[in-house]
Amino acid sequence: MPLLEVNHLTQRFGGLQALTDFNMKIEEHDLVGLIGPNGAGKTTVFNLVSGFYTPSEGSITFAGEATRGLKPHAVTSLGMARTFQNIRLWNDLSVLDNIRLAQTHWLGYGFLNAVLRTKKYFAAEKRIEEKSRDILEMMDLSQYAGECPKNLPYGLQRRVELARALSTNPKLLLLDEPAAGLNSADIDGLIRYIRWIHDEFKISIWMIEHQMKVVMSLCQRLTVIDFGRTIAVGTPDEIKANHDVIKAYLGDDNL
Amino acid sequence: MEQFIQQCVNAMQWGSFYALIALGYTLVYGVLRLINFAHGDIFMVGAYISFFIATALLAQGGLFGFSQGVTLALTIPLTMLLTSLVGVTLERIAYRPLRRKGAHRLYVVITALMCGLVLENGNLAILGASRKALPNLLEKQIYTFGTIAVTNLKLWVILAAFLVFAGLHFVVTKTRIGMAMRAVSWNRFALPLMGIPLDSVIVFTFMLGSAIAGLGGLLFAMSYPVLDPYMGAMTGWKAFIAAVVGGIGDIRGAFVGGFLLAFVEIMVAAFLPSTFRDLFAFSILLIILWRKPTGIFGLPLTTKI
Amino acid sequence: MKRHTINIIFLLAAVLLVMAAQYGLLDNYVLTVLMFMGINVIFATSLNLVNGYMGEFSCGHAGFMCVGAYVGSLMSVAFFTKSALFGGPLLSPGLAPFLFPLVLLGAFVAAALCGLIVALPSFNTRDDYLAIITIAANYIIISIIENIDVIGGPRGFSGMKQTVSAMRHVADIPWMLLWVIVGVFICVLALYRLMTSTYGKGISAVCQNEVAAEIMGINTNRVKIMAFMVSSGLAGVAGVLYAHVYGYVNPQAFNIMKSTEGLVMVYLGGMGSLSGVIMAAIAFTLLVEMLRFIIPAANDLLHFVNILPDSFELSQIWKWVIIPLILIMLMQFRPEGILGNRELTQVFPRLKRWITLK
Repeated sequence: MPLLEVNHLTQRFGGLQALTDFNMKIEEHDLVGLIGPNGAGKTTVFNLVSGFYTPSEGSITFAGEATRGLKPHAVTSLGMARTFQNIRLWNDLSVLDNIRLAQTHWLGYGFLNAVLRTKKYFAAEKRIEEKSRDILEMMDLSQYAGECPKNLPYGLQRRVELARALSTNPKLLLLDEPAAGLNSADIDGLIRYIRWIHDEFKISIWMIEHQMKVVMSLCQRLTVIDFGRTIAVGTPDEIKANHDVIKAYLGDDNL
Repeated sequence: MEQFIQQCVNAMQWGSFYALIALGYTLVYGVLRLINFAHGDIFMVGAYISFFIATALLAQGGLFGFSQGVTLALTIPLTMLLTSLVGVTLERIAYRPLRRKGAHRLYVVITALMCGLVLENGNLAILGASRKALPNLLEKQIYTFGTIAVTNLKLWVILAAFLVFAGLHFVVTKTRIGMAMRAVSWNRFALPLMGIPLDSVIVFTFMLGSAIAGLGGLLFAMSYPVLDPYMGAMTGWKAFIAAVVGGIGDIRGAFVGGFLLAFVEIMVAAFLPSTFRDLFAFSILLIILWRKPTGIFGLPLTTKI
Repeated sequence: MKRHTINIIFLLAAVLLVMAAQYGLLDNYVLTVLMFMGINVIFATSLNLVNGYMGEFSCGHAGFMCVGAYVGSLMSVAFFTKSALFGGPLLSPGLAPFLFPLVLLGAFVAAALCGLIVALPSFNTRDDYLAIITIAANYIIISIIENIDVIGGPRGFSGMKQTVSAMRHVADIPWMLLWVIVGVFICVLALYRLMTSTYGKGISAVCQNEVAAEIMGINTNRVKIMAFMVSSGLAGVAGVLYAHVYGYVNPQAFNIMKSTEGLVMVYLGGMGSLSGVIMAAIAFTLLVEMLRFIIPAANDLLHFVNILPDSFELSQIWKWVIIPLILIMLMQFRPEGILGNRELTQVFPRLKRWITLK
């Protein structure tokens, strides 16, 4: 059974059909990509899959559960995490708190435990603290644990966001343009990084990316969409040679 | 049935006041995305200004000894002018510095709320608690249609509201400054690039809104000739509800919302104890904001990520 | 030792205060001001949960205080006193000092449930619109109570003095001072513990980026409900204490002006700073009491130097011009409040050597 299965996904905003009949299957430990020109509906796909929008039509099955209509936090607790195109960290909380807060779905205690400081509270906080420290250590962020993300350089903020997504214990990680705003040296680092995450955490990754270098060197399979429609599916090499894709990116060669 | 029609006429008059104030709320919100919480109190200030002007101008005991007709003719423009000055002053000393600093919207809203309180309580502190009554400026005439009685004042109030709405609609949709106002609401930063000074658009908006509130204050004072410093607070809140119900930022919404709210209130008061009126008005607001947060004419909000 | 410093200081101060009151070292006026200070601390810190930590703009907080005041007062009058409304005491008046926490709890629960009026719409709306909802909630609550004639309607409700005297009958100590101190302690401790737990920091996450919070697995709706309910519940506790200190409540005492007082305290202290808001609540109470003397003094002075005409007197209404003006000035020149969103221990790190809150 695939980890994520998306069938006939369609989304309309008022009169605008942002996505038409989108299908996708992701197996465990896949590393796949979603590309397309600006405004093609890529982020819409992620918003639908992560539960931020409810699709107009179609079904989404993740980890054996139908997630259509679930709130994003519920989808996250099933094991899906994502990063954002424009970084969305909690800027006035420390990096450590950012990581800690991404684990509230398995916190296991509530208001009364927090206020009465019960054993359960201390146990849960200890567990989360350890896990957060581990993640920070693995992601090479330990030295920034006490800093506020807003004081960190852009590249580090991206890494914190990745660490935060990983700390939710995902089975599937959605990366929305992880290379946006990075220079070419950073991009080489990012490629190694994503590959390392993919191997180390044994998770599936699905990414939206404009940088061809990133998707071509990382992804096993690519889906290309344009104006909300899927125009090609295949390996990077197949996609590179696909006439429709070239047309979508560069325009019709007859022009 | 007759009673119903009579109530409808009353609702039209009552709704005219709401509509006149709501238009000011909506104008400022449309341009600045700021809820000018002091607007209800500008309405109150308008009523007081009209009181001072009318008393000063009128024959009995006044300084100038004009007749009723002349006094009314002079009071209307003077009230509107002076009230708009109050509105602009508020903008200049309280809101503009914050806007210049790029302060968080919350701070501007708090400032607006506090300015309202200063106006109310400052008025009470300076003028005292004795209630003022506007002198009679219009000889009362009653027209009867069957069993339905309508005073000429009521008709004038309703007519004034419609005229103001028509005029405003013209200004906003057809004139250059009106287009600039709509442009600001779309993109405040692009406007100066197009050669339109932002501040003059904002000042104009405040002037327009406050002048209309001033007119509303005058008409209110003529209809219910007892003024008190807190009159603007409650009426202002209600008018604000009207603007929200209609979809704040849209002048049609404010106008329709004003009459709608008045209608509900008058009908509630006609069939239930009048103390329930506010309860209903606010409950309606609550339900509308909960179910359809952007009002009747408002577009749904979308979050982009 | 270190981790108990603050508790010990607080305990000592509390014991000293109660002793001073007991042996008549504090006159009644000072005592009342102290109690109001405590009530304001509860009121302001609870509002800070929503307006500071969660970054919403609730300006109808007094409405919840009103619910707490009425429900608590009704409970206490029904339980411990003989009244026209409920007849004889349902419980023995002798139990009053022991079961008073029950009254506080009742007020908390009732006000917290009313907090739902605001919490549910907050799922869909934020900012200005939510501000309006809170104001509407304030008006609705007052209006409902004014329309219930059995509990006095607009005339108000009294009889709580008898509960206090029932407590004094059991042991002659300044009970209300004691309860206010207990209330402040519980409120501040609860808020501190909440906001230092990962669970409670979800509130800050919702404030700083709601979309990220939801997608990172925080149930934002539940966080909002929790924050609003705790906040309004604590306001209810402030209300019931207020009602018992005064011995009388009426709905208009909890109108938008009272809510404004709360806003002044929160924004004066700095949004999201517990210690800042506590200091602001204390300073504000003192300021209001001082104005009570300053305004007549200023009046006399201005008359003396003939600036004011004889026919004009400065009245206490000026208080309500001065308080909003303070907030306006604050917004213009230091909108982040005295401490910003930092805590006292962050501004003065050396304090940490002495105080560790646990």
